[in-house]
Amino acid sequence: MIVFFQACLNGMLTGALYALIGMGLALIFGVMRIVNFAHGAFLMVGMYVSYVLFDHFGIDPYLGFIAAGLFLFLFGQLIYRFLIRPVRDRSDFMQILMTTGIALILTDGAQLIFGADYHQVNIPLVNRTLRFGAFAATAASMLSFVIAAVLIAGLYLFVTRSLTGRALRAIAQNTEVASLVGIDVTRIQGLSFCLGIALAGIAGGLLLPALYLFPSVGDDYTLKAFVMVVLGGMGSIEGAALGGLLLGVSESLTSLYVGNQWALAVDFAVFLMVLSLKPSGILGRQRA
Amino acid sequence: MSSMRGWKPWAFAAAVLACGSLALVARNDYVLQVLFRIVLFAGLGLAWNLVGGFAGQLSLGHAAFFGAGAYGFALLSAASIPRWVALFLAAVVAAAFAGIIGRIVFRLRGPYFTLATIAFAEVLRLSVTNLKLTGGAIGLSTPALFSGRSLWGMLYLSAIALAVTAFVINVYVARSRFGYYLMAIREDEETASAVGIDTASYKLRSLLISAVLTALGGALYGSAFQFIVPDSVLTIDISLQMAIVTMLGGAGTLYGPVVGAILLLGAAEVFKNQFQESHLLVYGILIVLVVLFLPEGVVGGLQRRFGGR
Amino acid sequence: MHCRRPAALLGTLVGAALLSGLLGCSQPGGDSTRIGVITSLTGSQAAFGAAHKNGYLIALDEINAKGGVLGKKVVLDFYDDESKPDQAVQGVSKLFDQDHVPVILGSYSSESTKAIVPSVIQRQVPLMIPTATADNVMDSKSPWVFRICAGAGEYARTTVEFLKSSDAPKTMAIVYENTNFGQSNMRAMSEAAKAAGITLVAVEPYEAKSPDYKAVLQRVKQANPDVIYFCSYLLDAGTLMRQAQEVDLNPKYFTSAGTGFAAAEFPTPKGAGKNAEYTFSVSQWLPESRWPGAKEFDAEYVRRTKSHPAYHAIEAYEALQVVAQAINGARTLDRATIHEAIRNLDLRSTPFGPIKFDASGQNRHPVMITQVLGGRYHIVYPADAADTKPVIPTPPWSQR
Repeated sequence: MIVFFQACLNGMLTGALYALIGMGLALIFGVMRIVNFAHGAFLMVGMYVSYVLFDHFGIDPYLGFIAAGLFLFLFGQLIYRFLIRPVRDRSDFMQILMTTGIALILTDGAQLIFGADYHQVNIPLVNRTLRFGAFAATAASMLSFVIAAVLIAGLYLFVTRSLTGRALRAIAQNTEVASLVGIDVTRIQGLSFCLGIALAGIAGGLLLPALYLFPSVGDDYTLKAFVMVVLGGMGSIEGAALGGLLLGVSESLTSLYVGNQWALAVDFAVFLMVLSLKPSGILGRQRA
Repeated sequence: MSSMRGWKPWAFAAAVLACGSLALVARNDYVLQVLFRIVLFAGLGLAWNLVGGFAGQLSLGHAAFFGAGAYGFALLSAASIPRWVALFLAAVVAAAFAGIIGRIVFRLRGPYFTLATIAFAEVLRLSVTNLKLTGGAIGLSTPALFSGRSLWGMLYLSAIALAVTAFVINVYVARSRFGYYLMAIREDEETASAVGIDTASYKLRSLLISAVLTALGGALYGSAFQFIVPDSVLTIDISLQMAIVTMLGGAGTLYGPVVGAILLLGAAEVFKNQFQESHLLVYGILIVLVVLFLPEGVVGGLQRRFGGR
Repeated sequence: MHCRRPAALLGTLVGAALLSGLLGCSQPGGDSTRIGVITSLTGSQAAFGAAHKNGYLIALDEINAKGGVLGKKVVLDFYDDESKPDQAVQGVSKLFDQDHVPVILGSYSSESTKAIVPSVIQRQVPLMIPTATADNVMDSKSPWVFRICAGAGEYARTTVEFLKSSDAPKTMAIVYENTNFGQSNMRAMSEAAKAAGITLVAVEPYEAKSPDYKAVLQRVKQANPDVIYFCSYLLDAGTLMRQAQEVDLNPKYFTSAGTGFAAAEFPTPKGAGKNAEYTFSVSQWLPESRWPGAKEFDAEYVRRTKSHPAYHAIEAYEALQVVAQAINGARTLDRATIHEAIRNLDLRSTPFGPIKFDASGQNRHPVMITQVLGGRYHIVYPADAADTKPVIPTPPWSQR
């Protein structure tokens, strides 16, 4: 039983990072309906920002993630203005094509700038294991869990309480009506795209100490992010966060009881089941 | 769809003959291999066009059918079934997959449909990677369909045969009631359903045809390289490439997938020899530029500009 | 239908341009000799392709500084296989059918290498394999195929011999990534362990590049093996050891099939740091190896790239050196003569150790066992190469 709960705990710790990635995509895809196949590539950029800060200036990744978020917010602005806005009203597939192109450019660009080598950062925090009775977790994973939780709560408050957040949700529900009541749709859409990208960057910064870095590291996370968003329900920020946690726990339990090599397959199988049984997702309001 | 109606069989036959004769004048196997790949993906693009272009169902899971064809062919041949029989049985296996997948994914719309097709292909890839029966990540040897010095010439001609078959099916679909229904589904599925079109059945039929063609392509591909691993025939790259070839050339047009394949795969090879490490960057920029400036694809865009539609 | 013409015109134009691009073969003039190289410059294995390229370029500069081959400068003709087997096959065709290279080196991964073997045999062009460790790349037994590195079978055999020479442990768990590399090494070790009477109590595959392997390690812990054999390709080695500590997994031996566990950074603070201590690994080569030239190669590599080479780089380096020497020995670019020259080569001293190919084309390269002690690799087996005695058993995490 202890083993079971430990696996759940491990899953939650990884899941908190997943939640950040998923919420970023929830803003972009769930709310703004931009099908972003470059989400993992932006995550990768965030990891490189954090890595460069650590490697050149000795800045701890647990501070560097903030810089990664800021950098990607600005970078997202550029991408949105020149590449996303022109395809905003085009078909899903043109967006997929566009973002796939962006992902290729970012991934190969990273390889040209930083080389194809694998990098890792090894900080003392990652190796300090805290033990609570029979349970164990590293200090680093606890810290990133707390940071993620704070960010998730902050974003939730922003979306539900602030004026901008409400405008954002209004657009999600009905773009035309939103523009009729005087909401600057273009501005808000751009903002939420950049926020989503910034979250991917932050998640990248926090993932760096737990993983390692190479140009195509983000590829695996693009699809996972879509799974989280759909699991949680389109248009639901908190749903995507829950989707991330669930994915983390499901992977951890699958690894323990079935085998790690099946964890990803189970992710997709769960995804397909949710899609066919309850397409609106766990917390979804709108029908797919 | 204007280009669907006006195609001239004699011009088409001449083009096919010209392509075929390249096999005779090609200086070496390398050129044949590149041509093989281009023509194969033109055929695959045309196969994808049936579902993605006509019916407007943007699948990114066609790697599942491609892989089913390649693995089906390899496994059935290993069970000492004659190669040509195995080839067609593999296509039947893929059709069975399509039947199962279609029942679930066709209930979904828009990006959900696309994501679900990806998920299916990924589950298949991971299963093949993890199961002993399929050789795992180490891969399987695939028998050659042809032998002798003209191996690549024969493969190239087979790819042409596949592409021509796919093209003729596209023409037939474009002119038939079946194609008309598919386009109605693409434009507005609710309305199509309301006027009595059995949308589920027509979508499924288009997927079945598409899957069979894709599987034949996969088996051909496997036999060309005589060795397959999950990462070469079941990867999402294959699905993306089929879709991108079609969308870049122009989805729903007859010549789009062909032009797209020439442009994309030919360019990819030239870029690779020119730019080495940075070729994917150049490839990415090409895609972005086409999306920005030729949103209906190359053929679609040119038709608009010069065709005076 | 007046709109087909522009499309057809465009198709023709593009087709013509591309064909001329493909056909416009860049055969060099008579003052240089081309040697073909297939490796993974992009894609999932690009990091190793880059190491390959560095190794090749160091060898190239040395060869050309000494006058090249047959009195001509050597030019390397690279083909990127994008880490995909089918592209590697296309590479053989590009390099041989179009550029007419007399010999091909490559590819990087076992998948790509396995895929190109039929093509080189059909064309009767010598293939020098630098790094593919899966043993199925040598299945063909063709005289055209040579391999300079040791294979997965040799890794497993040497590890088992080492275990028998110490205190002959009874049980083993294999933890491997579900890739070609992992599965090949797992199969090789399963056979070697069974032959040596070691019981496999757990065989655990995992998906590479995950942040969390604690569940995998927990399963291994429940099986309580004497030995763990990790077949881990990438930096997952660092994650696995860190989480072994977290899970408090304490076997007598942490052994491994190299790569991630044999990377230059692994035992340093930049890599896994203290968690790497006491781990055993097979190794093909170390900068500290006793072979003359090893240190110089290391120094030159560091000068060029600011990082230490792993054995992939020197295997590429040595593959090119061997081929250049063979061509010089053959005194011709005739492929059959070159292939005879490679077969008859007997190099007593190279930075990668002595080199001689057996009847099946395999270089009998000695595999060593290393242990991380005090933040660096020490050779502990075989005894005649060892620089220190191994620490056995591995102290439990609580007493480190």
